[in-house]
Amino acid sequence: MATRSANRRALALTTPALLVIAVLFVFPSVYNVVLAFQKLTPYDAPGDAEWVGWDNFKSIFTDPEIGSAALNTVFWLTLVTVVIRLVLGIGLALLLQSPVLQRWRLRGVARTMVLVPWMVPPVVAVACWKWIFDANTGVLNQFLVGLHIVPAGVPFLAQTSTVWWSVAAIIVWRELPFVVIVMMAGLQSIPKEQYEAAALDSAGRWQSFRHVTLPGLRPVIIVVVLMTVIQTFNNFVYVWLSTGGGPGTYTQVLATQLYSAAFVANDLGEGAAIGIVMTAVMAIFALIYMRVTSEKEARA
Amino acid sequence: MKFVKRAVAGAMAACLAVALAACSGSDSASGPVHLVFRQFDPESEVGGLKTAIDAWNQSHPDIQVELQTLSPNNVQQFAREANSGSGPDIDQIAFTDVSFVANPKVLAPLDEFLKKDPLPGNGTKDLLATDMVTFDGKTWAMPWTADTMALVYNPKAFQAAGIASPPTTWEQLAADAKQINATSGGKTAGFCFPGSGSATSSGWFAINYYLWSHGGTLVRKDSSGNWQAGATQEQLASAIQFFADLFASGASPKANQAVADYSDPTIVNGVVNGTCAMTYEPPSTFKTMEKQASTAGATVTTAPMPSGLTDGATHLGGRALAINRNSEHQDEAWQVIKYLMSADTFKTYGQYPASTATLTQLSVPQSQQGYVQQLPHARSFARYIGSEMTVGSIQQLLNQHVSAVYSGQSSAQDAAKAILDGLAKGLKG
Repeated sequence: MATRSANRRALALTTPALLVIAVLFVFPSVYNVVLAFQKLTPYDAPGDAEWVGWDNFKSIFTDPEIGSAALNTVFWLTLVTVVIRLVLGIGLALLLQSPVLQRWRLRGVARTMVLVPWMVPPVVAVACWKWIFDANTGVLNQFLVGLHIVPAGVPFLAQTSTVWWSVAAIIVWRELPFVVIVMMAGLQSIPKEQYEAAALDSAGRWQSFRHVTLPGLRPVIIVVVLMTVIQTFNNFVYVWLSTGGGPGTYTQVLATQLYSAAFVANDLGEGAAIGIVMTAVMAIFALIYMRVTSEKEARA
Repeated sequence: MKFVKRAVAGAMAACLAVALAACSGSDSASGPVHLVFRQFDPESEVGGLKTAIDAWNQSHPDIQVELQTLSPNNVQQFAREANSGSGPDIDQIAFTDVSFVANPKVLAPLDEFLKKDPLPGNGTKDLLATDMVTFDGKTWAMPWTADTMALVYNPKAFQAAGIASPPTTWEQLAADAKQINATSGGKTAGFCFPGSGSATSSGWFAINYYLWSHGGTLVRKDSSGNWQAGATQEQLASAIQFFADLFASGASPKANQAVADYSDPTIVNGVVNGTCAMTYEPPSTFKTMEKQASTAGATVTTAPMPSGLTDGATHLGGRALAINRNSEHQDEAWQVIKYLMSADTFKTYGQYPASTATLTQLSVPQSQQGYVQQLPHARSFARYIGSEMTVGSIQQLLNQHVSAVYSGQSSAQDAAKAILDGLAKGLKG
């Protein structure tokens, strides 16, 4: 009797959370799958949708732009920015942990400054960077022209040679603090005794970084890579607001393709289908990544 | 068990509270009618409209109007609300968006109101752009304001280059722009325009204007009702090459290739301070520029676009007013719409009315005569509406491929071919 009462109590306590999950996560996901097989505009009521079978998926895979958008998403948007964030993130975290900063009582100030970009809303960050990159009035160009590094302002966001690096700079600047914070937490969890043992074994700084710090950060790096890859792969704001996918379609990514299909061409079904493809790609990546990293972990 | 009962009772009480809260916004039967009018222009541009609404509220205590601003334009939000049984009573809708919501589930058709309580004067015959608000034989909205892109220029920059008057053809514009750039030693760009490849880049207006004035159009409906591309590859390539040459010659600054909007400070400030001789702008942006120029002791003025006095060579844009089908006070909403369309409103509201009868009652400053001269010749984007492709998709396709030429990724011929292929695919559906 007591067990049944406890079960009911447990059910009553978990029901609100389950309802929230069902309403906020399960329903939208299922509806997105349904929508991917329908034709519906953003101006119609859901009841007006027409069933179109696999047409939306066929349309995606016959689109000549989808290949380059996928490549841009994987390479430029995700790989390049995640690698840069990881390298800079570890470097900055080490710097912020340094005894010199502590001795000068600058650690708190430095940590706060690193956090500033993260406090700036992405839309504001892009607007500021667009101004910085402006060929006529931008701070960066005025600096470069003033120092005679370039003869005239460079339209960073309008030429193919600079546009992806400029977008990557915006993403790295805004999203780096997350990596730094997590890496700092990871560094603090490495026992000091390991460094002391390494020192006793005459390990230099590089050797102690390679054989103590990096292995100690490994679990953190695994999680950070997974989270930043998924978050960046799906990101729409940075590319859309900074270049709109241009010049031409040079910076078009899957998320901007999705937006264009759903809200420019008014085809919510095709947008939903692109969303499913993106989710599937990320799910496969996550599964493979977790399996490979856990196998390595087990071997280690 | 008692805990479960309490939890259920609590949940029911919460639901009841939410339901009551949802109902609390409705009007009581005896009080004044409360109408919500939603518009999408930025707060800085609607001071005059607020004055007009205040005047209405003072003289009509029985019908009170609340002005709601939801900027920028988001007709999809209005459609979502209307489809779910809510939304403002009156909505301002851009001309090009009316076709998307011309649906009895979203808007109330206005034909009955027009019959019951007609507009003054010649009624709808006085209105511009009625083709943008009439679909399937029904009138879904009232054309309210009208605008177009006029040539905006800095007269001092023209004088410095020895040019007496603004260009009247695109070819003359290119020649003048190059001359201004050369005479100033590259300090003043001849013609500034947005060249970004983004979906909404307003560089698209210039390319359309060029095409229309040279006998082409992006899409057209043939006599059998089928949609197809309205320009040859040569016509398209020639239009693209024209604008690419402006960048290549330095007459247009390369920095503009990253600019998506005509109101971008790079362009607006450039024309005001004379580092740019000319551009094109709608009336609202021009008025802001004029104030800015006046503060800086400079002058900016308008003229018709090249070939702007030729019928159909420029676009007629603007906003319409529509009644939400969910409004419980549609008759009162119609009265408010009639007031908003009257000369009384436009005495304080700084837009041009979409009624020729109202327009003639207003005095427009000399600096804005470019718009006044051009408006009667401008033609709406109805010429692009009705195919399988939205105007937005056509705009995105054009902007992307033209931007690829500006940035050296493709030739004008290749871009023209890609645009025609994209149109053929899109128009097929």
